[in-house]
Amino acid sequence: MSPVGVAALFAIGLALFIVLYIVYATYNDVVALRQRIDKAWANVDVALKQRWDELPNLVEAVRDVMAFEQEVVTEVARLRAAYSPTASIPAQAAVSEATSGALRQLFAVVERYPSLKSQTNVLDLQNEIERLEGIIADRRELYNDQVYRYNTRIAQVPAVYLAGLFGWQPRPFFAALPSEVARPDITLATE
Amino acid sequence: MAYEITPYLVLASGAAIASGLGALLRGFGGYRSAARISDTSGSRVSSLAAGEVRLSGVVEAAEVTLISPLQSASCVYYRASVRQSERNNARDVFEEERAVGFRLRDETGTIRVFPRGARWDVPPKLDASTGMFGEEPAGLMYRFGPAIAPGPEDREAQVAALLAVHQPETSGGIGGDTLGMTLTSGAAHRRYVERRIEPGEIVTIIGQALPFDQLDDPTFASLGGSTFDPVAALDDPEIAADLAEARASGVLAADTASAWGNAAIPGFGIGRPTSVPVLDPRAARPTVASAADAARNRELFEIAPEELVLASTGEMPLFIAFGTPVQAAGREQGQFLLGLLGAVLAIAGAIGLALILNNGFTITVNGVPIS
Repeated sequence: MSPVGVAALFAIGLALFIVLYIVYATYNDVVALRQRIDKAWANVDVALKQRWDELPNLVEAVRDVMAFEQEVVTEVARLRAAYSPTASIPAQAAVSEATSGALRQLFAVVERYPSLKSQTNVLDLQNEIERLEGIIADRRELYNDQVYRYNTRIAQVPAVYLAGLFGWQPRPFFAALPSEVARPDITLATE
Repeated sequence: MAYEITPYLVLASGAAIASGLGALLRGFGGYRSAARISDTSGSRVSSLAAGEVRLSGVVEAAEVTLISPLQSASCVYYRASVRQSERNNARDVFEEERAVGFRLRDETGTIRVFPRGARWDVPPKLDASTGMFGEEPAGLMYRFGPAIAPGPEDREAQVAALLAVHQPETSGGIGGDTLGMTLTSGAAHRRYVERRIEPGEIVTIIGQALPFDQLDDPTFASLGGSTFDPVAALDDPEIAADLAEARASGVLAADTASAWGNAAIPGFGIGRPTSVPVLDPRAARPTVASAADAARNRELFEIAPEELVLASTGEMPLFIAFGTPVQAAGREQGQFLLGLLGAVLAIAGAIGLALILNNGFTITVNGVPIS
């Protein structure tokens, strides 16, 4: 083969190597993105579970004192019972948002009961649940951002060509679907 | 028709291929880093969970800071080099890289960063050469004294330092001796490069958040850089044997209190011990720190076992980049583009070489054809 032929082969080989490297790196990047989404979701799940664990203590602490706002307490208990870690992510988001709303209402009512406000255990529980609410909000944001990055990546060149090959589908955001925003389909369950 | 060309043309083509391929490999590294920065969502310190995270925030000094060798700036990381070239000979006469542990603050809190084993992406703060007549570049201010300085002072001291008028310092001409360099005067041309990260600057870190008690080696995790490797030193069989012998003979103490005495008391070195030291009756007795000061000292020097910190692990080294995530990713993407240009250069070099070696050209050395 003439030197020019060798040079042409070198150029083609190098271009092919670059393309193959980008395909290889893109595949690995998307796999890593999927792993990060799973991890971000696991972190949201942990915080949801921690809040779920704290709610009975709060309900128990305020139930007897709040004689006239029992429906607020009942709503919190009802939403806690509706939490299901195996439900779809949008369904869990709907329950989570409804729980946060009910807790905000409950804390607003607690403000009107000086006897409750003065109880250390109620204050501690309130602080802990508010801390968990903050963590859930932050981790939900992180999860949604990670999903956004993944969904964007698999819609862009070159990953879009690999998405069909490897069956990559967009992931759902941690947000209630419009149909579930008004009131999640929750049946009252008692423990 | 045959053209007489020198072998330098062949060498130039070969150099273009080699340097182009080198740039391409570095570009691939930049591509991976840019993807890692762009694909990892930013976390907040207050809601951090263990595992891989990307954090961005302001650097705060911890117990100690470093003094950079070429500009004497207080920093937590530096890499400095001085390259001297004279006629056809160029060599690094000074090269040093160091890092110390620091805190990263975002809008929700702070987290400790242990830089051992980290990979750094820091653009140079100083990149200058000697002038036409050998004069040193402006901004060069050699370090005189130790490389490590105490950490942040209390607020009042910092305010006083900020308000004080300082006399401008000059570089002087003996810095080379201080840094252990062998700088020859005369025709030598020197290039000074210093990269560093100072307290107050923004960095982006990607790595593993893990509880402090899960660090492989908490003692040395705070020391980074390639210049000094304490763990490698301990792994040296000769040093390990010396240490074992010293322990057996009682020369090396078992704990810090028996080894250092009063110096093991937190705050003793800054004149505010947290407990009463044992002193000569004639010595001036320092005031024992108040509860608030003791708490501050504890916060500075002690880390709870369950506290999440950022550190390199066996599977995942820390990646610490200067600037915001966008700036860091932009630099890495630039590196990738340079890599692609390198590929073009390599191809051009190969084509050039092919044309030289083709039948239409003949290489001659001292008039003798060698093709």
